[in-house]
Amino acid sequence: MEVTITAEKLTKSYGSLKALDQFDLTVCRGEIFGLLGANGAGKSTALECILGTRKPDYGTVEILGMNPCTNRKKLFERVGVQFQETSYQDKIRVWELCEVTASLYKAPRDPKLLLHQFGLSDKLKVMVSDLSGGQKQRLFIVLALIADPEVIFLDELTTGLDVRARRDVWNSILKLKEDGLTVLLTSHFMDEVETLCDKIMILKNGRTVFKGTVNEAIQNSPYDQLEDAYFYFAEEGRKNESI
Amino acid sequence: MKAFRTLFKTECKLSLRGLDMFIFAICMPVTIFILLGIIYKDKPAFEGAGYTFVEQSFGAVSTIAICAGGVMGLPLVVSDYRKKHILKRFKVTPASPLLILAVQLSIYALYSFASLVLLYTAGVTFFDFQLKGSILTFLAAYLLVMVSMFSIGLLVGGIAPDIKTASAAASILYFPMIIFSGATLPYEIMPSALQKYSDLMPLTQGIKLLKAAVLGSPVKEYAMPVFLLAGIGFICAALSLRFFRWE
Repeated sequence: MEVTITAEKLTKSYGSLKALDQFDLTVCRGEIFGLLGANGAGKSTALECILGTRKPDYGTVEILGMNPCTNRKKLFERVGVQFQETSYQDKIRVWELCEVTASLYKAPRDPKLLLHQFGLSDKLKVMVSDLSGGQKQRLFIVLALIADPEVIFLDELTTGLDVRARRDVWNSILKLKEDGLTVLLTSHFMDEVETLCDKIMILKNGRTVFKGTVNEAIQNSPYDQLEDAYFYFAEEGRKNESI
Repeated sequence: MKAFRTLFKTECKLSLRGLDMFIFAICMPVTIFILLGIIYKDKPAFEGAGYTFVEQSFGAVSTIAICAGGVMGLPLVVSDYRKKHILKRFKVTPASPLLILAVQLSIYALYSFASLVLLYTAGVTFFDFQLKGSILTFLAAYLLVMVSMFSIGLLVGGIAPDIKTASAAASILYFPMIIFSGATLPYEIMPSALQKYSDLMPLTQGIKLLKAAVLGSPVKEYAMPVFLLAGIGFICAALSLRFFRWE
């Protein structure tokens, strides 16, 4: 299978804190890959080092065969990103944000069509800040898709959503997979990970403690639920410490 | 170019929705100018002067918009867009965060020029204002004042760690400058002790330069302010380039 994202030995320290240590990653075309770990485990640092918005101390990254720092302009015509934090202007309307986003790309997809697909057609004139949590997240997926990307990065996509909204967002992502998109996402929810991810990686204090499929994670632990397996990998140290 | 145009259009709308720049850069200067006109009518600037008080003040009030945009608007918008990760978002697109900075600079330049045109129209219509110097010299001087004030704002916004600091720094720069540099309260009526303090402010030098350009004064009066403004612009721009925080 064609490899779309590779990272080798990514290492990043903030002062004496090693935020990311020897991070290796391979994601193939059409895969949904989940990056898991507690807050501060290094997920965001890993994502940012892969995207080139943060410079790793050591290691290399390639997305679609390109270096995200030196080939930034070319690469990001084909890559969509949704950051965890809100990143839009005050008082901006849904359509304005879509229009501006589309103007950044050479061959963008029609935002109107995407908004329709994601059930936001009647929100064009609404302020982004007035959307509900679920509508906002769907809008952010739309924004990440306007580039007509081959790879998209989604950081904690469903945090703060209600059950219905979460389900809607999941369905949207599964549809993207059918279209052959590669998705790299971070998540805190194991039901979400089980539904969406082909492969996962669990980080703990910047180190990779598990890499493989959801089933492999369960098989390699003494448990039969992903959530328990996750705790087994992500918090092993802490359990030992408490004994 | 398409990206610049679309972003410019949208950011203009957003800025107008915010209203503060419309009030401080468009309404305030023309109000002050008309008030000065009503108070001083066609009185000469001083006894025996070949020009009116209003003509003398034109350059000063024309900097109010530059000051509002440069040291208030710019630092706030830069630190706000950094805090909201808008600058970072531009890094993961084919565009660059420089694009949105360029758009913001253009918007504040547009406010300044709009204010200038409005003041000129008001001056000509109500107070028989005429530019005694060359219009090109005036525009060049205006542009220089703008560049140096905007570079101060960009530096403040670029290095302030958060929006609170940026806002405090902007207020510390904006309010003394708008009051004591002669932009609103005419320099010529200040007590000489205050004038000495006022002379330290970069905007005061800008206003002196513009006054000289309006009145068509001899070239030697331009040298000092031009040198100072260009120096400030250069230093602030260089420091911004070196220390600008994108996130």
